[in-house]
Amino acid sequence: MIPLINTAAVSRVFGAGEAMVKALDQVSLSIEAGEFTAIVGPSGSGKSTLLHLIGGLDKPDTGTVELNGENIADMSGNKLSDFRRDNIGFIFQAYNLIPVLSAAENIEYIMLLQGITAAKRRVRVKEMLDIVGLAGLEKRRPAQLSGGQQQRVAVARAMATNPSIILADEPTANLDSKTGISLLDVMKELNQTKGMTFVFSTHDEKIIQRARRLVYLRDGLIEKEELQ
Amino acid sequence: MLILRLAWRNLFRNIRRTVLTCLLIASSLLTIIVMDGVMLGMIDVMISGLTHTLEGEAQINSKGFRDDFEPSLRLSNYQEIQSKLMHDPVVQGASARIIVGAMVASTHNNAGAIVYGIEASTEENVSKIADAVYAGSFLSGKEREIMLGRPMAELLEVELGDRLVLTSSTVDSKEIVQELFRLSGLFEFGPETLDENLIFINLTKAQSLFELPGAAHQIAIRFKQPEVANDPGLDLYKSFNDDSTEANGWLVLQPTMGAMLEMTGYTTFIIGGILFLLASLGIINSMFMSIYERIYEFGVLKSVGTRPANIIKLILTEAFFLALISCFFGLILGYFISVYFSTTGIPMGRMEMSGIVLDGNINTILAPYQFISFPIFVTLLTLIAAIYPALFASRIVPTEALQKAL
Repeated sequence: MIPLINTAAVSRVFGAGEAMVKALDQVSLSIEAGEFTAIVGPSGSGKSTLLHLIGGLDKPDTGTVELNGENIADMSGNKLSDFRRDNIGFIFQAYNLIPVLSAAENIEYIMLLQGITAAKRRVRVKEMLDIVGLAGLEKRRPAQLSGGQQQRVAVARAMATNPSIILADEPTANLDSKTGISLLDVMKELNQTKGMTFVFSTHDEKIIQRARRLVYLRDGLIEKEELQ
Repeated sequence: MLILRLAWRNLFRNIRRTVLTCLLIASSLLTIIVMDGVMLGMIDVMISGLTHTLEGEAQINSKGFRDDFEPSLRLSNYQEIQSKLMHDPVVQGASARIIVGAMVASTHNNAGAIVYGIEASTEENVSKIADAVYAGSFLSGKEREIMLGRPMAELLEVELGDRLVLTSSTVDSKEIVQELFRLSGLFEFGPETLDENLIFINLTKAQSLFELPGAAHQIAIRFKQPEVANDPGLDLYKSFNDDSTEANGWLVLQPTMGAMLEMTGYTTFIIGGILFLLASLGIINSMFMSIYERIYEFGVLKSVGTRPANIIKLILTEAFFLALISCFFGLILGYFISVYFSTTGIPMGRMEMSGIVLDGNINTILAPYQFISFPIFVTLLTLIAAIYPALFASRIVPTEALQKAL
């Protein structure tokens, strides 16, 4: 069976000369569909870089990154944009919602890019708002929502198109403990009920406790892996 | 629709910058509208100065007469032509003239001059000779009336009522002729070439003096609608362009004026171009500021799968809205300023350009194209100015943009 994600000997270097930093060094990792995996490590260990490579936001200097059997490291332009749009959902540490769009419009945006009809979009937006517990707040703009509510919108946006995988880069870093747990419970439930694959980059204990698989990174190398 | 909403709302994220950029674009538009109105007004004054002072909007001359003003080239049937012209529905006035070189002498001095024999009654419908009289009176048909320009009167040291002697030769027999006149009027057109050289006497007197009975050299014409003057398809031109006569509008008679008008058009184009170039730099600067401010958002938009073309579309849509708002205010302001100056005029003092005096105020002229073509032009230029920032935004690398957000 082909793994959902497969990185083979992936390296990524930033800078040059004395300022050169090897963010990832020959990292090989496979993730199966339906996993709830956390890439764990201290700051600068290469977690976010690996997540960005898996998500096609960055390209490796060497190695391949396959998602659903397709090497996304070779993709560029519209093909890569479309691939990200249709297969990957992103959740960022800083929420990164579009401030001038309402919660509903933020969720709707990717579906619009996919050419989904307005009627279907509306139904899906309502469904997603219900799932993340934000029913009734659809018209609020990000500035009118709390940090936790904004991150819920980000989760809803990431899931709205039923992507193959959701990549979450330190999703709880800007949230208080209670809000973070509440959000993680939502994601965990989605993983269990809908079979959505989640990959986190984190050093948050709350995520580490809930993840089924932990991949420890240090200095750009996989230090160890654990199943919980 | 969401892209439109996104673009529209983005404009109001930094209201001060949007207002300043709109002001820049709107002021460029209103400047070009008002400037074009002023240019049209100036052209109108120049054409009016040229055609209404003396030349007329069109002329019928004996064939070849205008080449060197040879007095023997006459219109023997001028009264017949004049009569036909007066029955032409497009003609407002037609006045016959005799034009001959002569020497004029007073008791103090003498000078060379161009003598115009004119019909006082018809000339008032064609030229502004009567309006240019500042002392004495316009010709009334009396035999010995003569009018001089101010500089010539000063040269000859004459005053109203003083005697003047014209010396010339008859057209056919070339006999020297002399005739005594009394100064009846002083005129001042403005252009010194006219005031220093022209003398006006009655047409009948000129016919007898130069032995041109029943003849004239030129018929100056004024139309009811001045625009028809340069229509080469005009029936009048077809009728009177034959072996013995030639009929032409002022643009053919004064080709330098045509060149000058063309130059005026280029001036508007060049000034407008410079104006919009400066505005474009402002627009590019503003768009870049806007992009840098939201760079993380472009990172997010690209991360979630927005194609580069859609990013370009978003920025261009913002630029389009910016242009629309700017054009709205630019048009309103441009309209009211143009209307104001079209009624009050812009005081220009008195200046002479190529022998044409621009006197008093220039009233701006409003034309529909100023309010249709110019805004379209401004909108297109705004979009062109936004292309570079749009391309920049479309090429933003998501990872780099997202790092800037943290």
